[in-house]
Amino acid sequence: MTVFTTMDDLKKRRIHELLDNGQRIDGRGFDEHRSISIEIGAIPKANGSARVRLGDTEVVCGVKIQPDRPFPDVGDRGIFICTAELLPLSHPTVETGPPNESVIELARVVDRGIRESHMMDLSQLVIKRDVSVVGVFADNVAVDYDGNLFDACSYAATSAVLSARMPRWEYGEDGPVLQEGDAPLPTTTVPVSVTMAKIGNHIVVDPNADEWDCMDARITITTDSNRNICAIQKGGKNGFTLDELVACGETAVKSADAIRRTLEAAAKQ
Amino acid sequence: MSERRKRVIPGDVITSGSYRADQNTVLDGRLIVSTAVGVSEIVDDAVRVIPLTGKYMPRIDDMVVGKVTSHTSLAWELDINSCYVGFLPATDVFGRDFSARSDELASRLKRGDLVAARIANSDRSRDPLLTITDRDLGRIDSGELVKMSASKVPRLIGKRGTMIQMIETQTDSLITVGQNGWAVVACEDPNGLLKAKEAIAMVDRLAHTSNLTDRVREMLGGRS
Repeated sequence: MTVFTTMDDLKKRRIHELLDNGQRIDGRGFDEHRSISIEIGAIPKANGSARVRLGDTEVVCGVKIQPDRPFPDVGDRGIFICTAELLPLSHPTVETGPPNESVIELARVVDRGIRESHMMDLSQLVIKRDVSVVGVFADNVAVDYDGNLFDACSYAATSAVLSARMPRWEYGEDGPVLQEGDAPLPTTTVPVSVTMAKIGNHIVVDPNADEWDCMDARITITTDSNRNICAIQKGGKNGFTLDELVACGETAVKSADAIRRTLEAAAKQ
Repeated sequence: MSERRKRVIPGDVITSGSYRADQNTVLDGRLIVSTAVGVSEIVDDAVRVIPLTGKYMPRIDDMVVGKVTSHTSLAWELDINSCYVGFLPATDVFGRDFSARSDELASRLKRGDLVAARIANSDRSRDPLLTITDRDLGRIDSGELVKMSASKVPRLIGKRGTMIQMIETQTDSLITVGQNGWAVVACEDPNGLLKAKEAIAMVDRLAHTSNLTDRVREMLGGRS
């Protein structure tokens, strides 16, 4: 995806052979995620932050909350924007400079998962209708890459939003005026994305970098706390059959339960 | 550590004697100064520093393991774990009759193939030229690529090849080691493959320590 490597043919062959024998290169089950560790408050000066490690993939997310002008057509709603960036230290092939297509896709998939699940009640983020609203900006930075940045960024952004404290503003004569006290962001659900890769005829959950390099197609499915699917992104040159899609949906719903509990527990720390 | 071998960092004076400044050292007046973090060594009339880490710097006649990343109409480009890209000219594979118009390079070596090659020509001003026209060189058809620090390859090979031979014997495997820190381990037995990989990782981790061959042998469960 965001990282361009040439995979050696021998390893690719080995991954396919192992999958045909029901095994993965790192010994996990086909529907097994790598271990997730979440550290809340990794950036002390941010309104909310989280450092998420998904196996050897590591992402830091910071949430900044500040007054902003509303979009002209939705003056009765606050703003939520999620971005993503890869640091050159995350992988030898990552260079500085403007984000490429894959990084833009990464940010949009994470943003869409949170937005379409209606995780945040944006109507509660209005300071003065049509004039001033609260803007929530979640910025993801990948510091270590070992595949599946979609899920790592999604968990980091969700954890950071869940743990964020929102300052209070009231509209004065010259604009929003900061008040004393803060409160959690108005969240209604916890979106969890699950990314699956299709390699040959096999579908594996949470592909690592090696699996990512040799996959034929991928799908990211985000579900909310009610186990409803709220966002899907499909990538890669190959496709999924209808049966595979249904199976992916079921896997995403099933896998998300445990991850959601982990995210909620971490945010309560 | 003997008096002739000591740990150095860049800027450390190794000696002021009448020696030749070899690898990773410079002559500053009468002083021989290290330019790398590593272990200094005085062999015959030369002083050199064996670096603890660092990228591979190609040297003529080195055997390397490379990965084909791309090709032009005249040559393949190989990742050789260096700041330089290795160039393998098409004439080296197709022979002198090579025609860029009729011969398709991808028919012989494609992207992702691993190749055992030798550095035919290299200076620091341009990318090194590779060759596979020698015994035991060419595409590697089986095994698993294992990566280690290029500066620790001599330790993996050992004195007169003792270490590598011991690992191969104990694990019943065949190991192709490139001076660039990439090795391909081929083994029929999955346990042997795991053991061999573990042994290489151990050498990489503990290259600076003594009595390593015995400890690797012990880890592999063999007798001395």
